[in-house]
Amino acid sequence: MMCEFLKTCCTDPMKIIGEWLVLLPAIVLLLAAAASVVMRNLIHAALCLTLSFIALGIVFIALGAEFVGFVQLLVYVGAVAMILVFAILLTRPEQLTKSGTLFSGLGPAGGALAGFASLVVLLAFIFTSPVAKKPLPAPVSAPVAAIGEALMGDYVVALLLIGVLLTAALVGAAVLAMEDKKP
Amino acid sequence: MITLLERAPIEIKTWFLNLLGSFGVPEWILAVLSAGIIIGTIIGVFLGLFALMSVMERKILARAQNRYGPNRVGPFGLFQPVADGIKMITKEDLVPRTADKIVHFLAPVTMMIPALMVLAILPYGRDMVPAELDSGILYFFAVGAGTEVAVFMAGWSSNNKYSVLGAMRAIAQMISYELPLVISAIVTAMIAGSLSPSAIVAAQGGFALGFVPQWFALTPWGFAAGLIFYIGALAESNRSPFDLPEGESELVAGHLTEYSGFKYATFFMAEYVGMFAVCGLFVTLFLGGWQAPLPFLEIIPSWCWFIGKICFVAFTMVWVRATLPRLRIDHMLGFAWKFLLPMSFAAFLSAACWHYAGRGPLAWLLSLAIVGIPYLILGTSFTKRFAVSRRTYRFSE
Amino acid sequence: MNFPGSGIVKGLAVTARNFLGSYFEKDRLTTEQYPEERPTLPENSRSFPFLIYDGTDPDAGMRCVACKICEKECPPQCIFIIQDRDEAGKALKRPKVFDIDISVCMSCQICVEVCPFDSIRMDQEYEMSSFDRFDALLIKKPQLLKSNAYYQKIHPTEAAETDARLEADRKKKEAAAAAKAAAAKKAADEKAAKPATPEAAA
Repeated sequence: MMCEFLKTCCTDPMKIIGEWLVLLPAIVLLLAAAASVVMRNLIHAALCLTLSFIALGIVFIALGAEFVGFVQLLVYVGAVAMILVFAILLTRPEQLTKSGTLFSGLGPAGGALAGFASLVVLLAFIFTSPVAKKPLPAPVSAPVAAIGEALMGDYVVALLLIGVLLTAALVGAAVLAMEDKKP
Repeated sequence: MITLLERAPIEIKTWFLNLLGSFGVPEWILAVLSAGIIIGTIIGVFLGLFALMSVMERKILARAQNRYGPNRVGPFGLFQPVADGIKMITKEDLVPRTADKIVHFLAPVTMMIPALMVLAILPYGRDMVPAELDSGILYFFAVGAGTEVAVFMAGWSSNNKYSVLGAMRAIAQMISYELPLVISAIVTAMIAGSLSPSAIVAAQGGFALGFVPQWFALTPWGFAAGLIFYIGALAESNRSPFDLPEGESELVAGHLTEYSGFKYATFFMAEYVGMFAVCGLFVTLFLGGWQAPLPFLEIIPSWCWFIGKICFVAFTMVWVRATLPRLRIDHMLGFAWKFLLPMSFAAFLSAACWHYAGRGPLAWLLSLAIVGIPYLILGTSFTKRFAVSRRTYRFSE
Repeated sequence: MNFPGSGIVKGLAVTARNFLGSYFEKDRLTTEQYPEERPTLPENSRSFPFLIYDGTDPDAGMRCVACKICEKECPPQCIFIIQDRDEAGKALKRPKVFDIDISVCMSCQICVEVCPFDSIRMDQEYEMSSFDRFDALLIKKPQLLKSNAYYQKIHPTEAAETDARLEADRKKKEAAAAAKAAAAKKAADEKAAKPATPEAAA
């Protein structure tokens, strides 16, 4: 397999780069997500989570879903990560200077074991299901116009409902923040 | 001759790559080299513009304040960036003892990367886009979101209350002004029918009545959206009058307090390159990109027009800096949420009405009304809100 | 015309007028480009003290008599005087060493005010930077001695007043000396005339 790999490197390196363009961000995503779960320092955990968002965005882009990838970067990295950070700074200042990980004692070991066991079970179910046996559909890279037409055409009800939900959340947040203005 | 000058950059690159190809260099190396040449040229041009801008800004500000700017280093002081660069490089790199070393180191890097990456989708001339993306505008804003993470990293890792405060204010400002910015950019995408910058530039092509350019900034909704985009651009790059996060009299240097030497120079560079990038997007979306304003001026190559327009917009940014005082944080955020956001929606509605009313004279009047009336109403109510009135106290008297 | 935002537009117009005016109206830029154009100092400006000599020979025309009043009165004690002595060891009315440490001197002019002989005055030279913090900033007697003509050039009014006063003093002394000489001559004449009368009487 190594010889195959090296041979393709010399003749068609773009294919190798294409494959690793998905694999590498995926690995970074998993490691960053795992790191953000086990770190004690909350700000470091938040930054690792931001890194995992960025990696997920790159995975989307590498898989051909450009629009979703850019929206992921714009919304998650630009807004959600910042809100997370604001929330940490405003509510838990005492946990900001800790260091190290949560790996101490038997609790995390048991949790890791349970997680690994569930991963094995899930993978077994996925690979033995009939869905895995069907051939993959050809990748379709939809231009943004097609996504826009689908959103405004077939899925317009869902779009408007999400809009209403977000507006309600915004108004609620404004009302909550405005409470203490009256003397 | 004219076409030769116009196509000069691309022709030179193609000639060079063909030369290398005739020496037997494999295909994929040529492809990588092609991308490398483009990237190198763009970065070189923009870093050169950054150096020139840093001295021209000081000289323009000085002239507007009736004094000379730097005029000792080189002819008319134009080698000042060299002296500044040497100074920045030779300064001691201080890292506070209790600072978070990794995050402190990565913050300038994280700030510089998005600033350089967004330069990839701007059309620098006819058929001269480094990356022809279908959703280029979205890419611009998505990558620009990385700047906010960098600002937070810089502020928090310094382990300094003023830095954190400055970083929080900077992030609040950036997020607040991102909304009007994106909505006013979407207005042009809506009229052009595509998110790709080349398509938006092409939609501003042609000349009405034979000599009037059809740029979006010359329409009522385009003028309003352009103004909103310009103000949002000033706020996103932390430039005066929105430079509270880095005002020296407010918070020392805000989130940049604990940075010295080359790291500070990197932040400085990232801010200026980001400013040029967003100027470039403003030119692309509203001022017709690389197109000449009058038909007979098309002799001048398209990439010259693009650079010229960017320089003009940068000059206006310095002009605004020389004129306006710094905004307070609550004024700044109130302006974004209570004035710019409704105005950007008004511009959106106005553009849609202009398009669906047939783009004729009636459509122009209608779009002018839809933009002008909310402007007057919001503007007068906004300025009245901050009128000086008798102060009332909540707990005393 | 007062639409919302008109203040900003007016401000931009003012800035633009300043910017363009600074290229076309020469009197907007009041900066003096320092090494090429030096500022004209007012007459009373002062930097550090210097010693005056009358005439052309510094050592012979020096007004200072080493009374050391300025050394005692100097607040930061920056003047160092050693009186000259001849071969026999008798004190002469001139200083052998007169040093002023200009890194200490605060230009308070007290040495000038207390000098009874009008021999120390304030100079106007300010470009005295050096690369050495200690020895190069200790100005010695040869460098401190400057002629009265130089003093009249830099402080014309003061020099005129001092010269007039010294001239008046000199004239008064001459007149007093002349009067004393005349009185002595008269006494000598009377003394010579007096024995003549008793002779004539006898």
